[in-house]
Amino acid sequence: MKHALHKMNPSVKFLLITICMFTMAFFFDPWTPFVFWIGILVLQLLFSRIDWKKWLLFMLPFFVTAFGYFWTTLVFAEDQSGPVIWSIWNVHVTETQLNHALSLSFRVLAFSSLSLLFALTTNPTTFIMSLMQQLKLSPKIAYGVMVGYQFLPVLKDEFMHIGQAQRLRGITQEKNAFQRLLGTRRVLIPMLAGAVRKAERAAFSMEARGFTGERRSSYFQVIKVGKIDTALAVVFLLVLVLSCTNRLWLDF
Amino acid sequence: MHDVIQFERVTFSYPDEENPVLQELSFSISQGERVVITGPSGCGKTTLLYLCNRLYPENCDGILSGTVKLFGKDSLYFIPGEINHRIATVFQDPDSQFCMQTVEQELAFTLENLHVNREEMDKRISEVLALTDLCEFRHAVIQSLSGGQKQRIATACALIMEPEILLLDEPIAHLDPYTAKKYIEWLDDLQHKRSITIVAIEHRLDLWGNFFERSIPLHKTEVAAPLEKRNSSKIEEISLAVNKVRDKSFLKDISFQLSRGEITVLAGPNGSGKSTLMKTLCQLIPSSGTVQPDFLGYVPQSPEFLFLTKNVRDEIGYGGGSNIDEMLSRLKLENIADAHPFAISHGQKRRVAIAAMLSDGREVILMDEPTSGQDAVALSELFQLINERAREGTTFLIVTHDMEFAYCIADTVLLMDGGSLTGKFPAKDVWSDERLLQNHHLLPPKGLMRHEACFA
Amino acid sequence: MLNSWKLKEIVLMSLFAVVFGIVYLLFVHVGNIWAGFIGPIAYEWIFGIWFIVSIICMYIIRKPGAAVVSETIAAAIEVLLGNAVGPRLILSGLIQGLGAEAVFAATRYKRFDLWVLMLAGVGSSVFSFVYGYFLGGFAVYSPGYVALMLGIRILSGAMIAGLGGKALSDGLLATGSLRGYAISRSKKGEVRA
Repeated sequence: MKHALHKMNPSVKFLLITICMFTMAFFFDPWTPFVFWIGILVLQLLFSRIDWKKWLLFMLPFFVTAFGYFWTTLVFAEDQSGPVIWSIWNVHVTETQLNHALSLSFRVLAFSSLSLLFALTTNPTTFIMSLMQQLKLSPKIAYGVMVGYQFLPVLKDEFMHIGQAQRLRGITQEKNAFQRLLGTRRVLIPMLAGAVRKAERAAFSMEARGFTGERRSSYFQVIKVGKIDTALAVVFLLVLVLSCTNRLWLDF
Repeated sequence: MHDVIQFERVTFSYPDEENPVLQELSFSISQGERVVITGPSGCGKTTLLYLCNRLYPENCDGILSGTVKLFGKDSLYFIPGEINHRIATVFQDPDSQFCMQTVEQELAFTLENLHVNREEMDKRISEVLALTDLCEFRHAVIQSLSGGQKQRIATACALIMEPEILLLDEPIAHLDPYTAKKYIEWLDDLQHKRSITIVAIEHRLDLWGNFFERSIPLHKTEVAAPLEKRNSSKIEEISLAVNKVRDKSFLKDISFQLSRGEITVLAGPNGSGKSTLMKTLCQLIPSSGTVQPDFLGYVPQSPEFLFLTKNVRDEIGYGGGSNIDEMLSRLKLENIADAHPFAISHGQKRRVAIAAMLSDGREVILMDEPTSGQDAVALSELFQLINERAREGTTFLIVTHDMEFAYCIADTVLLMDGGSLTGKFPAKDVWSDERLLQNHHLLPPKGLMRHEACFA
Repeated sequence: MLNSWKLKEIVLMSLFAVVFGIVYLLFVHVGNIWAGFIGPIAYEWIFGIWFIVSIICMYIIRKPGAAVVSETIAAAIEVLLGNAVGPRLILSGLIQGLGAEAVFAATRYKRFDLWVLMLAGVGSSVFSFVYGYFLGGFAVYSPGYVALMLGIRILSGAMIAGLGGKALSDGLLATGSLRGYAISRSKKGEVRA
């Protein structure tokens, strides 16, 4: 049970999550995204072994974002009809506004939880392999992406080394975010020049090992779609349907 | 024995260059031979290799005339990918040869390319790992392995295709001599087990011993004069004083002093903290202890990491130095003063980096691995560059694995192991102390051994 | 379409995506903290960083599909790097890439001057905004606020992605490392359709 989400086929998971998000986008009441969010958390609790501490750490910025959505919706909402339920100075908050604000905030939380659920239960390599095997992604692109992923530690180190070397020449780190953005261009040129060189080498060594980009006739690591995927798909859709129909069974 | 590779009057040029890299080249290689193609950087060795495994001409739109025959058939008639399992290649850069995460996945990637049946894959992976003595690495994450291990994995990936020819593109260029030597012994053993044809390109043969049966020299440029041991330019005046330097985790209370005009080589096994020490001295890593003076010059292995401007002249003047023209002429950079610092040769980049450091008024220069991957011409240029500056009063601390080079240039040697300094030794004491060398994964320089042989 | 692509071009896109992924990670935190105070508009000004990969890759490689493929690869890489925004990024990458691609397609892949690149940045901005409008539920905001968000995003797309992308690519071209790519050939006046 606890492994189910980790064992689930990544493409199926990916498609289900996409369907859920697009469905949620049609709802502007607070209850639907809220119930859905709770549903996702229950799913996560039952079928995964996610470290909740880590989860909380990743979620923290999204709570902040959700709060941002909350108050901006209160202030900048278009529809200001309905009874005023709240007044601070000259700002009058109507029921519709509050509902919209809560809806968008819960939507942020629901989407983020859904995304985190995917990120924390999916192995990147398996995901790419599955995209190639189930969703027929071109091997050229799939392995192109894999190479990029392999280079992450190398490029991260390089980013640091270049930054250090340039500091020696008297470049100091800017405090202001905008200036820092401008400042990164100095690091980017050597980074990109190195990336061009590495890309060619990597591509050559793949071709030298017989890679032509054509479809493969058999895979070493076969990614299957099985019973567990059907079962979890049903559970996901159940959560989705239950939250969309909350008016029928939730009574306040 | 029949010929497996034949070049018949091959001329090859790149689309945006006037002169061909290869001109009217003819040679042939028979089955089972061990051949090395030699020559300095830029003589077309790599081009030649890429013509053998069919990466060129397609990948660079180059212009080819003459015929390249592989296994008796014109190479142009092979469909893409067809030839690659018969002629496998190991490249020089250990970091950019892999596309999967683990060794097993990487080997499987190769087999999938060849459309091997799934049932057969596991067997072939186990076999090649046993053959190459790499079984323990089956599930290892490739990017976490050392350079030498990565080169072995790359070789295993080539061998799993069961090729008839193995091409080696300077496979030891990025390895330290100790690791390189081990790799060569390992390769020798493999060739005995499976008698495949080996064709390598290499600019430095000293480590290979008598591995190769035959060499094909490709030379165009002048042959570099062998390095000579320099006379010390050390003056009794303290130029760098380091006292009890340590970083947060690794370096342990390092203290030493260098004199003005002294050239010191910093050596030790991989991961002993040499690069960390250099960065600590330049205050790029937070540390405690004192370094006098605190304004040091530093040239990383890739000098272009330092560059910030669009031409060489601005680069040298970036730190506010005044005598830029004098510096340009002193370091022989006048004719590239307006070139983009990224678009010049590796040796020139290093020259520009040193010029920029000197023009900032940094009188002590630290260099990280300047010899790695350099051919004889480049080494002799580097030697001169450092020697001349030292005579002008600059102090050098150089990390290098190249003991031949160290033997010729160093006045003193600093040895490191496990984050602490073993000590500072006069250079001549180090070369004769076999235990000291072995403890620090170093090989004795041949220059010295020849010298000694004369007197024996 | 993919058959005309060399493997090294695809790997190049992928490595560029990693480089910008690293840059983006440096800035997304800034965006998140701001978002708490000033709402979703906080992300708008740095949105151009998202589009820059597609513009740089198209400017360098100049083949149909370069914008949309590179942007999708960039998004996939971002997901692999553990970006918590997760799988929906892949879709947004695709849509952003289509925005830029549409502009290049309109010139029949013949013009790559500054105006076209900036316009491509705007294209990405508009496409991604429509997508964000739907998923983010911007419909509840007053038209003025939505217009402001769109305005900032368009500006960011044109400036950071268009102007910045061109500046970076030209800087890279000057280093001489782009030999063998379409951008180097075109500079010599050799026009390739």
